[in-house]
Amino acid sequence: MVETTGSGATREHETYGLTPEAPGFAFDPGDPWTQTFQKGLERANLQGKTVYEVGIGTGINAAFVLRMCGASTVFGSDLDPRLVELAERNIRSLSPEHAEQFQPVKGAVSLIDTEEARAKIAQTDVVIACLPQVGDPDDSRLAAFREAQSVPLASGADERAEDHIAHYYPWAMFDEYPFNAVGLGLNEALLHRIRKHAPKAEVVMNFGCRIGADIIFDFFRANGFEPEKLASQMVRQDAGTDISFFVALEKALTGTGLEKEFVCEFFADEKGDMPLSACEAQTLSKRDPDVALYHEVCVIHGRPTGA
Amino acid sequence: MHVSNTINCSGLSTAPTVLRIKQALIGLPDSKLPLSVLVDTACDCARLVSSLGAMAGDVYLASDVRQMPAHLASSRTVSARLTDTIHQAS
Repeated sequence: MVETTGSGATREHETYGLTPEAPGFAFDPGDPWTQTFQKGLERANLQGKTVYEVGIGTGINAAFVLRMCGASTVFGSDLDPRLVELAERNIRSLSPEHAEQFQPVKGAVSLIDTEEARAKIAQTDVVIACLPQVGDPDDSRLAAFREAQSVPLASGADERAEDHIAHYYPWAMFDEYPFNAVGLGLNEALLHRIRKHAPKAEVVMNFGCRIGADIIFDFFRANGFEPEKLASQMVRQDAGTDISFFVALEKALTGTGLEKEFVCEFFADEKGDMPLSACEAQTLSKRDPDVALYHEVCVIHGRPTGA
Repeated sequence: MHVSNTINCSGLSTAPTVLRIKQALIGLPDSKLPLSVLVDTACDCARLVSSLGAMAGDVYLASDVRQMPAHLASSRTVSARLTDTIHQAS
């Protein structure tokens, strides 16, 4: 495994025998989130299925489901138009025998908000996605909420990494969705669109469980999907991802009598034996910026109810 | 910064409903109060009001879109989701 970071640099990671090209603007395919996602995808019974990946990234998951899970066709799109081109190259080099089974939706595609993307979703059996669950630190409404709770932005959180859009989403833009309150607005917008354009499609989605798995299960049920956890792994909190959003959520409940009903789930150890609230995690992080903090990442299969 | 005075909280339990209301009230001018909130049918409104404390006076709670003032129920922000809610409830 080779990793060099920095502008224009390329990371190379071997994942399940696959080594993709991974420039800095793409989400790192060697990240444990990807490993967890692929464990879930292996268990999702994708043999012979048509799959659409929303947020194709490097294409590592598309190559994986074609090569290791036996999917018949994979569609893919991304908000960053460079990524779909990258994914095409990676799939061609990683799994040339399956290259023809990948059908990219080119251009900048937010969720599935183009005619071509919607047409492909309508032909899809299973939609897969790993979308950001943290509001953009630059979002003015989110900043106002954070400031109202007297929660400062974490040091360095205002610096924009090359793969910024892989970690954050424009929070206020998705405020029509109820679960945006806890950072699931972008994911909820996707489920809403899938219900509309592919009502029989199943979903397999990768989540950070910093807000707790229970509320993520509520999120699926509220949007017409019966959830099942396919895979789970404890991962180290990304040092570059700001957790002040989670701290603000906890603080906003102070004095409401609901403080114990919503506590974020961080851990001081990789086994998950030492739980920490977001406030506690932030305190440790302020004391030692290099402190290891962990949270669960889980893969959830959603089966449409009533389909 | 556009802030809506109608929000949909269907599907949310009490704690995230309080969070959503507090988020929505941030920056909402007095002239746009009350904030109209469609709560989940299972919501314990008495508990919600208790949790909101003094803020409760700034919100109008409804568990059914038909209880909401017509001009609010037709708001672009909530209309699509409310339509779904009515459909699921019928």
